[in-house]
Amino acid sequence: MVGSAIQYSGHQYFRHRLALSILSGKTLKIDKIRSEDKNPGLRDFEISLLRLLEKVTNGTVIEISVTGTAILVKPGIIAGGPLVHDCPLSRSIGYFLEPIIMLAPFAKRPLQLTLRGVTTDDNDLSADLIRTVTLPHLQLFGISDGLELQIKKRGAPPAGGGEVQFLCPIVKQVKTLNFVEPGKIKRIRGISHAVRVSPQFSNRMIEAARSILNRYIPDIYLYSDVYKGDESGKSPGYALSLLAESTTSALFCSEAISQPGVAPEDIALQATRSLLSEISKGGCVDQKHQSLVLLFMVLGSEDVGRCRMAEPTPRTIQFLRDVRDFFGTSFKIVSAEPGNSESTELLYSCYGTGHVNANRNLA
Amino acid sequence: MEDRPHKAHRPAHSGGKAEKKDKGKGKEKQHSFNEKAFAPKSGRNADRQGRRNVERDQTRLHVPLVNRTPDDLPPPILVAIVGPPGVGKTTLLKSLVRRYTKQTLNDAKGPITVVSGKKRRITFVECNNDLNSMIDIGKIADLVLLMIDGSFGFEMETFEFLNILQSHGFPKVIGILTHLDLIKKAAILRASKKALKKRFWTEIYQGAKLFYLSGVLNGRYPDTEILNLSRFISVMKFRPLVFRNTHPYLIADRIEDLTPRELIRTSNRKCDRTVTVYGYVRGTNLRPGQRVHIPGVGDLDMKSVTILGDPCPLPDADSEKRRKLSEKKKLLVHAPMSDVGGVVYDKDAVFTRRTEGEEGVLQGEGERMVMDLQEAGMTLDDAVKQTHIKLFGSSEKHLAVGIDEDEDMDEDMEDDEDEDAEDEEDLDSDADVDDDDEHAHSLSMNQLRSNPRNTGRSQPRHPARTLPSRSSSGKHQKSEVDFAESDSDLGDEDEGDFMGGGGRRTRFGFGDDDMDMDFHDDEDGEGEFDNDKDEQEEGGHNNKALDALAGKRRRRDWMKDIYSSSLTPEEILSSNPSSSSSSKPTTDFDDDFFSIKKSSLFHEGTNTLEFADKTKTSPDLAELSKWEDEEMLDSVRKLFITADLNVAAEGGEGEGGDGEWNGTGNDDDDDDGEGGDFVDFEAMGGGDPSASTADPVTAVPSSSFATGPSSDPSSSRSAIAVKKAALKARFDEEYDDPDASKGVDFYDEKKAEMALQLQLNKAEFAKIADPEARALVEGYVPGTYVRIELTSVAAELIEHFDARYPIVIGGLLPAEERMGYVQVRLKRHRWFTKTLKTNDPLILSIGWRRFQTMPIYSLDDHSIRMRMLKYTPEHMHCYATFWGPVALPNTGFLSATGVVLSIDSSVQIVKKLKLTGTPYKVFKNTAFIKGMFSSALEVAKFEGANVRTVSGILFRAAFEDKVLMSDIPRKFYFPVTSLLLPSQSQSVSESTSPDTETKSNWQGMRLTGQVRRDLGIKTPLNINSTYKKIQRPEKKFNPLVVPKKLQAALPYKSKPKLMAKQGGGEKVVLEPEEKKAVALLQQIRALRKDQVAKRREKKEEKKEKRAKELEKEAERKGEKEKEKRKEYMKVAGQKSKREADMQEGRSAKRRKTS
Repeated sequence: MVGSAIQYSGHQYFRHRLALSILSGKTLKIDKIRSEDKNPGLRDFEISLLRLLEKVTNGTVIEISVTGTAILVKPGIIAGGPLVHDCPLSRSIGYFLEPIIMLAPFAKRPLQLTLRGVTTDDNDLSADLIRTVTLPHLQLFGISDGLELQIKKRGAPPAGGGEVQFLCPIVKQVKTLNFVEPGKIKRIRGISHAVRVSPQFSNRMIEAARSILNRYIPDIYLYSDVYKGDESGKSPGYALSLLAESTTSALFCSEAISQPGVAPEDIALQATRSLLSEISKGGCVDQKHQSLVLLFMVLGSEDVGRCRMAEPTPRTIQFLRDVRDFFGTSFKIVSAEPGNSESTELLYSCYGTGHVNANRNLA
Repeated sequence: MEDRPHKAHRPAHSGGKAEKKDKGKGKEKQHSFNEKAFAPKSGRNADRQGRRNVERDQTRLHVPLVNRTPDDLPPPILVAIVGPPGVGKTTLLKSLVRRYTKQTLNDAKGPITVVSGKKRRITFVECNNDLNSMIDIGKIADLVLLMIDGSFGFEMETFEFLNILQSHGFPKVIGILTHLDLIKKAAILRASKKALKKRFWTEIYQGAKLFYLSGVLNGRYPDTEILNLSRFISVMKFRPLVFRNTHPYLIADRIEDLTPRELIRTSNRKCDRTVTVYGYVRGTNLRPGQRVHIPGVGDLDMKSVTILGDPCPLPDADSEKRRKLSEKKKLLVHAPMSDVGGVVYDKDAVFTRRTEGEEGVLQGEGERMVMDLQEAGMTLDDAVKQTHIKLFGSSEKHLAVGIDEDEDMDEDMEDDEDEDAEDEEDLDSDADVDDDDEHAHSLSMNQLRSNPRNTGRSQPRHPARTLPSRSSSGKHQKSEVDFAESDSDLGDEDEGDFMGGGGRRTRFGFGDDDMDMDFHDDEDGEGEFDNDKDEQEEGGHNNKALDALAGKRRRRDWMKDIYSSSLTPEEILSSNPSSSSSSKPTTDFDDDFFSIKKSSLFHEGTNTLEFADKTKTSPDLAELSKWEDEEMLDSVRKLFITADLNVAAEGGEGEGGDGEWNGTGNDDDDDDGEGGDFVDFEAMGGGDPSASTADPVTAVPSSSFATGPSSDPSSSRSAIAVKKAALKARFDEEYDDPDASKGVDFYDEKKAEMALQLQLNKAEFAKIADPEARALVEGYVPGTYVRIELTSVAAELIEHFDARYPIVIGGLLPAEERMGYVQVRLKRHRWFTKTLKTNDPLILSIGWRRFQTMPIYSLDDHSIRMRMLKYTPEHMHCYATFWGPVALPNTGFLSATGVVLSIDSSVQIVKKLKLTGTPYKVFKNTAFIKGMFSSALEVAKFEGANVRTVSGILFRAAFEDKVLMSDIPRKFYFPVTSLLLPSQSQSVSESTSPDTETKSNWQGMRLTGQVRRDLGIKTPLNINSTYKKIQRPEKKFNPLVVPKKLQAALPYKSKPKLMAKQGGGEKVVLEPEEKKAVALLQQIRALRKDQVAKRREKKEEKKEKRAKELEKEAERKGEKEKEKRKEYMKVAGQKSKREADMQEGRSAKRRKTS
């Protein structure tokens, strides 16, 4: 009954391939996972992700080869419900949350997932960005009521100790997106947090960020978010996450986290500059969220969804290819401004697959 | 003419007419209705009436559904003719076909497509009297002509079919009563018509259309009646059904076997076949790569889908001018399965035409050609291998099929999935070459009959058979159009790019390299195509080409890079022409893996490999450092809302920006993202004062604008005109009727939203002119005639093919491809007399599928547990859970009627289990119970379960009450065990059964009882389960003993009455003296009694007297009292009056003064 498996090689793009496999119900086979590495096979965080997916779904069969260099995933249905998962400290909570966000709206029951581990790190979206930027992106697709991420405790690397709770409602079908007006930036918000270090650090970051941003618009609020005691995790650290919202509520974000030997001012400048570069790339969706938005466009009803974005990142390119493998949907990608040769913005449009949440219970 | 006033009527004022009228008037006045009689008598009634009307209005509204069939070229509507045998289905079909095409079919089988009007085609299908066919037809028919034998009445089949319709979405139904001529008596006829109509209405809806067809003339129904019926059909409107709106499907009007003859011969006609089916796509877009299900056959993969020329096209533009469908067009009928003569089969188009006169001659030839086609013993592969075709005159090698495959072996792993498609595409192109060469080589066509595309064709047989005006010239035109498109490739950048990118399978070369291509030269074109792939593989070449073109600033084609190149994502980005074009040495392919390893050498971080899958890209310091520059910081200022305030010079632009984002979604109809053209407008309209308030002009589009900016005066003028129009629209909106938009209710709003989206859908891909390329992005739109190649089809489908059984190809959604536990709510079918038993095999029809499975029935126990039922309830819904192919929730199903509720990979249903034991020691609320379990494991399993005694004492942590030794011979037990559901299901495959006999009675799984009966096995009988006479010992009750002490303490009433009653019994005989004495005593007693009575009487009299006196006294007293009170009241009244007067007087005075 089930068609042949979709096969990939290499450990890259592991997360979105798993998410696509579970959403489409197609069997996924990945081989040559770090097969030429000194330490071959899956890493602890990848195993942990597989375990998490096993918890979230019902009936998923995951087979891992003896060497750990190949896996086979036969997806089951997305069950949802209350869950708790301890993430390894090698990756932050964002690593686990990103694929979960793709799946959660199509679960059988609303998902209430508690994740413990590192809340902010260099590799993935921090809990702050997910809360302030990623979740609003889901609202574009009609997923809003009851969508929440609560940061109970913060945990900086390396020892972590943070805890977040992710609540996601279920939907029958996501709305078709038609988002081609980037608008103008109307406000900038930011959260600067410092745990187990002097609270002054966060104020210093805010000041440094304001020194650049103040010239643009007056509507800038940078919150200083200081956690104390048990809520501040096990390791010291601080970070600044910034987001800019346009008049059409397009969101751009950036983030920088503490590095040893770097002054908080420099961290703030780094975050601010990456925000500006993100803004300058244009589009309606920032680069970190391209694949999420594209996925929900594919899953929309059988209508044409359109979105204006900057040039794709390597991840997005691979994601587009993988989407074609799993759903057979190709995007039409043309320049957003055919007349303007300077413009690098692109218009992505696709015909939705009409994906209906089959896991949902009726009555 | 019309507006000239008519001459007014002048009534006669005198004379006979006037008199007559007056007389009439008087009379009429008596009869005319009394106006007051119909005025609302009460406000309440009027109110009620008003509310009722509003409510009735609401019932007309339906949930707005998107109609996904295109309205410019819809698929033919599917009209199914259904009814019991002998009712006249075939006669009706023939009559209708005759009505539309003026030709009589001898043997009407399979779908028959005719053109019924300028914008409508109809496919007629006759449904045979088989349940499976009825189910399939019920799933796909747009309109059902339900035939009923008027002389007989409703038959089982009719009801059965209506029942089928109910669970698969109800299409439109027209009832048709036939055989009415058999009823001779007019009165009986009228009565039976009425009765049938009434029944029909209750079954469908009140006022459902019912037609009456009287007898048969010349083997047809009377022409006028058929004409009426056809008129009804032609004006019928259809509401989209949810299931069909989400699934593509087609009914095969032709099916061909492509399996090599040799293979069939060697496998003794048993090998799996490769089959092509032809038909119009219906429902939604059929996506390439989608899996399909053929009911009765199974799930299949579509190997390829090809768009063919419409065999039964709608009248085109020239005849459009006429009001009526021309007679010529009327002749078109497409019915490959029926025996329509003069069939013309092309590779990619089927033309059928009948003209009287030439029929005989042509039929022979046509048939011969069909035979030729069927003779083809080879697949295209073999054919190409065998032919010695050279692509170019200079080529050394012959065209070979295998080569590409070898190359592909070491191709990008990620493109593996696409390889099939690509290979095939190569084949296609090769085949094209064959075709083109054919003019010269005159190869035998039939070897290449699976060639799906054929452009420049000039077969000698065409002019003879097909419509001379259409076929050849039409085909020729088509090819010309293709060329023209490719020309535009060169001209229009974007469109061309897109075509190239979208079409891995387009015939022409892609994007950048198109520049020097001459499309009119076939050889060049083909050569280009072949090279194309090579180039893609060698990324270096590609990059060089890009470099060469960098000067021209061609926009890069993302679609091509992403979808049809084998470069890794990093390479794609690094070869971005805007950045420095670093032509990386391409590692032969794929592997992200390898490339990363390499890059890890460059990076200082050793764990790049480790953290490859990350969302945040590590900040590029060089990139960030440029933001230290003030100029750079200023450059993004225009992206902020404050831009217009700060940058005075760019005021126009900032303004435009505002306009841009104020306009919400006005630009829905511009497709290719001319959203960005505001820059041009601002340049033009900066000086225009109206520009500052102008609503965005994005709705106006045109690439001509964007490309050729303000230099062109005409375009600028039009731009200004457009702006003015927008401004006016805005003004109107503001001032005309501000409430107009508010008045739109939710329903209209939704409808408008849908219409807008639909428009957008249409516009978005309209620019892609190549149908194949378009199909890749959006699928095959409903209404296109396609040929689908299916592989590994069971041989029996072909071997036992019967045209009377419809072949439906239904597209499956990704969710429907898996297996799982499906929970449904179901009720026994209303005519199924027996109850259904758990685990008995049951045939179900859900979605496209029909399969046999073993359901377990259950009921929801207070939302706590699902309790298993052994049998379905009599007249109630229950749940059923079975293992089978998954269907979306809310899909109706059949066999027992019901609806799918949910799907899952595991289910918990519990079964009631009674375990009994006997108490052997009882404490206050605790008891030890013996003989309930046989092992410690069992005990552990049931820990915490619900225990209840026979008398109803419940066990909750402790028993509610003391358990009596005698009270619980048994205990009830409700263990929560999940049942292991049987994970078996079997697809019903009656289509593949040998002959029509078994087609209708396909043998599925048998019931256990049937198996036992067939095998002669007795039902196993557990000796403990047999019922035996229960021997119960007689109960003896001991007398109640009350202790003496207690007895003493008890009140007399409660004391046990131990003494026997005294006296009674003996008779007393008196002595004479005693008798006398007794008599005397009696007399004395009587006297005394009398005396006492008298005395009492006297006393009473006295009492009465006294009472009267007292009454009088009281009366007197009362009167006195009254007088007294009167006096008092008088005084009080006067007093209060005086006071009131005083007050009034004062106020009166005051009034006077004021």
